[in-house]
Amino acid sequence: MLLEECMSEVSSPVLLEHLFRREAGRMVAWLAGQLGSQHLQLAEDAVQEAMLRAAQSWAFHGVPEKPEGWLFRVARNFAISALRRSARMDGEALIATLEAPGADLESAEIEENLRDEELRMIFLCCHPELSQESRVALSLKLVGGFGVGEIARVSLAEEATIAQRLVRAKRVIREKRLPLAMPPRMVLRERLDSVLEVIYLMFSGGYAAASGEELIRQDVCMEALRLGRLVAASSMGAPRVHALVALMALQAARLPARTDAAGDLVLLEEQDRALWDRKLIALGFSYFDRSIAGEEISEWHVQAAIASLYAAADEAIDWARILENYDHLWTMTRSPVVALNRAVAVMRVHGAAVALAELEQLAGSPVLRGYHLLPAVRGRMLAELGRMEEAADEFETALRCDCSEPERRFLRRQLEKAAAA
Amino acid sequence: MAQYLLLLRSDPSAWDNLSPEQMQRTVEKYVTWRNRPFVVGSNRLEMTGRLMQKKDDKIGVTDGPFSESREVLGGYFAIEAKDLDEAVARTMDHPHFEFGSIEIREIMPRPEAN
Repeated sequence: MLLEECMSEVSSPVLLEHLFRREAGRMVAWLAGQLGSQHLQLAEDAVQEAMLRAAQSWAFHGVPEKPEGWLFRVARNFAISALRRSARMDGEALIATLEAPGADLESAEIEENLRDEELRMIFLCCHPELSQESRVALSLKLVGGFGVGEIARVSLAEEATIAQRLVRAKRVIREKRLPLAMPPRMVLRERLDSVLEVIYLMFSGGYAAASGEELIRQDVCMEALRLGRLVAASSMGAPRVHALVALMALQAARLPARTDAAGDLVLLEEQDRALWDRKLIALGFSYFDRSIAGEEISEWHVQAAIASLYAAADEAIDWARILENYDHLWTMTRSPVVALNRAVAVMRVHGAAVALAELEQLAGSPVLRGYHLLPAVRGRMLAELGRMEEAADEFETALRCDCSEPERRFLRRQLEKAAAA
Repeated sequence: MAQYLLLLRSDPSAWDNLSPEQMQRTVEKYVTWRNRPFVVGSNRLEMTGRLMQKKDDKIGVTDGPFSESREVLGGYFAIEAKDLDEAVARTMDHPHFEFGSIEIREIMPRPEAN
């Protein structure tokens, strides 16, 4: 019965997929663009109200012919009447802006304008004045149109924590008068890098947070991919933006194969490649080709190169070339997380004994303290060397760290195997 | 075929905290249900209005609905069914149960003069 119901809903879509979520982001960007970043809260309230009214009305009357236009009009009208009620000095001027003929939502250039508004909103949400955690949460909320609960699930944080982060971030925007504008040329590079970092954090949040609802984490990955493509298609589309999009597309392609029917993690080597999303792989490679057009080689380029080696593999993964890329990435970043990933490649190429010796150097790293993957990887190496007792200890250590539910189940299975041997 | 009125009651703020995606999914469930062949019509009611009643020869007008009840009549669906049991069975999977209650009442046919 339940299944039948789902099927019938899939076969007769009432609205464009994710229309509310997508339009929420576009409407906030558009309204805040008209009103200025000081009125972000009003923009958000107007959009929330428009969607609530739409939901309540459409549930009983059906969906109107142009739902997007309906939402935009209601949001704009709500903002206008809220401004009328408030005794703001600049109220009349703001109302005039919203009522200006240029703000005509039916006009042909609106799509293009909206893309620019969205882009400016992304740069605002990723402003270096905001904490990194806030940047991710704010981007998901304002640009992605995700709800607080959904953001909490992919961030592995409490709803109250996310709500607080959002409030704080908006206060910083207000108090420091951060504008909704493209960054000036002098800081363009730095600002773009912040945007790319946030987009990838968003993506990996969705990719890793398997404890949340399956659908939401895929949505978050796809939203990050969409934002990456939006930036890539703009005047900000430097080669490293294309590299980041390539990386995300190639990784997202593996999402359907990453968990089995029971929701358990499937390791890359054991994944059914027939389940990989061919379209995303093709998309990834086309962005990868474009990314190597220029001189620039960024971290994103090397990461994308690694992802492309996994994606291109028919049978055997070319671990030697993956290791070369990790060597390169390590010299660029000196990041312990990269070193940990590199150690896995070392294990494949030079064996577990060599890899284990290299891993010892990471033992004291403050970045990796409490990170479940360090003992998990060490456990696998020890198990491969037949040192089962020590391996079991490592898996137990890993289980004491924070990690997602499927990862926990995976680690428990490894622990049982090691303990049984 | 008899006609039945489904009176949908809920907390007026029941949808306030839904995310955009959840709102869309909710709308889609209602609309999908509304598209079923036995649904005759549906309307939404404003959540507030006036309550009028006669007291001491005067008709008093107060803001309604009453604040004592958390559930407010928010809309109705009209459906066709051969009897009350069928009307109940057809209402079993109404998406409104996530938010509130449904009262089913038969719309009495005009009596035939014979």
